[in-house]
Amino acid sequence: MSGHDSFDEFLAAADRDGAIVETSAQLEAALSRRRLLVAAAAGASAVLLTQAGPGRAAGGLSRSDTSILNYALVLEYLQASFYTEAERSGALSGKTARAVRVVGAVERAHVEAFLKLLGPDAVKRPLFDFQGTTEQQQPFLKTAVALEDLAVAAYKGQAPKLRSRAVLAAAVGIHSVEARHAAWMRELFGIKPAVHAFDQPASRASINQVVASTHFIARQPRTKARSKPKYTG
Amino acid sequence: MVRSAATEDLANEAGSSRLALLLAAGAGAAAATPLFRRLLRIGDAAAASKAQDARILQLVLQLEYTQVAFYEQALHQASLEGELRDFAQTALGHERQHLAAIKRALGAKAGKRPRFEFGQATKNSEAFRATAIKLEDIAVSGYNGQATNLTAGTLAAAAEIVSVEARHAAWVRAIAGEVAAPDPVDKPLTATQVAAGLRAIGLRT
Repeated sequence: MSGHDSFDEFLAAADRDGAIVETSAQLEAALSRRRLLVAAAAGASAVLLTQAGPGRAAGGLSRSDTSILNYALVLEYLQASFYTEAERSGALSGKTARAVRVVGAVERAHVEAFLKLLGPDAVKRPLFDFQGTTEQQQPFLKTAVALEDLAVAAYKGQAPKLRSRAVLAAAVGIHSVEARHAAWMRELFGIKPAVHAFDQPASRASINQVVASTHFIARQPRTKARSKPKYTG
Repeated sequence: MVRSAATEDLANEAGSSRLALLLAAGAGAAAATPLFRRLLRIGDAAAASKAQDARILQLVLQLEYTQVAFYEQALHQASLEGELRDFAQTALGHERQHLAAIKRALGAKAGKRPRFEFGQATKNSEAFRATAIKLEDIAVSGYNGQATNLTAGTLAAAAEIVSVEARHAAWVRAIAGEVAAPDPVDKPLTATQVAAGLRAIGLRT
């Protein structure tokens, strides 16, 4: 007798050998403890796959859900590459460095989860050029804030359009995690983590426009654009 | 460079009025049964409907009532200082707007403000901080838990609120020096779990 009856029934039906329940239990134990960083990558995949169940085979997803998931995957690629590159640059310190280890691991986990969910229908990782924003802490934080706020608006814009209830359940769980990341990065940057009472969605066209304006998605490998490549996502 | 202003300019509608409009039609369906019996019926329907939206709104109404009362009392009694005070004031402002929007959506069917006994949580700042984390995490998981039960229009309106609750949760966790986003995917809570969580914090009906 709860809001998740149908979802729980679905899980039970999908979980014939008990593997999912076992994974979830391990996941909860692992993620709530100090092993967060190690477990995060495996964890998000497990949760997403658990929740998305029958959609696992890409053939089980509607064409429009596949399109939305690929769109989300590109945003996750962007974020994961951004954090990974910033971590490797060695430019981050203190609380920011610690937060980025967590957030980066989670964004990489989101990528892995979407890749597994989409299977052969997944789009390839683009080439990135973060225009130097991963090489100094303050420009990094400013960009992180923008990317996270963008991700929140993007998920919010797409969630109501998802047809699969299972994919929707996973997407809203990621949407709020992106909002947590946005607030966290804002706090670290020294600006208000929550400005408005209502966060607004953004359309795919608007998101694409903003992403294009950053020139973070490179037309060619950075190795060709610059004589001395540093980090190329 | 990324222009964060650009994302904020993308949509400048008034979210609260949208919520009210979307749900006004469905509000009349909530039966006049005791609150928690009503809440327990959430999810019974096979598919989302305006009637079910209204039942879910009664649930999140309790959430928002609890948050408003909690921050109001703490700001009066807990001697909050610095960033923690800034957080409480900001969150209170947001929760009041959420509450007003949900009340407008439910109209005359909106449940009355319950009583609360928050104990130490609104009297000293450390207890306040710990409880604020619990309450905001419950809000995030409570809204998320209902996402698949809502009609698309109401889901869009609720999504404008849940990410703000997630921002509050992360903010107060950061203030406490805790991991602001502890899970890769936020876990959903059922209506029953939300009700139990709110009671444990101090909701008395």
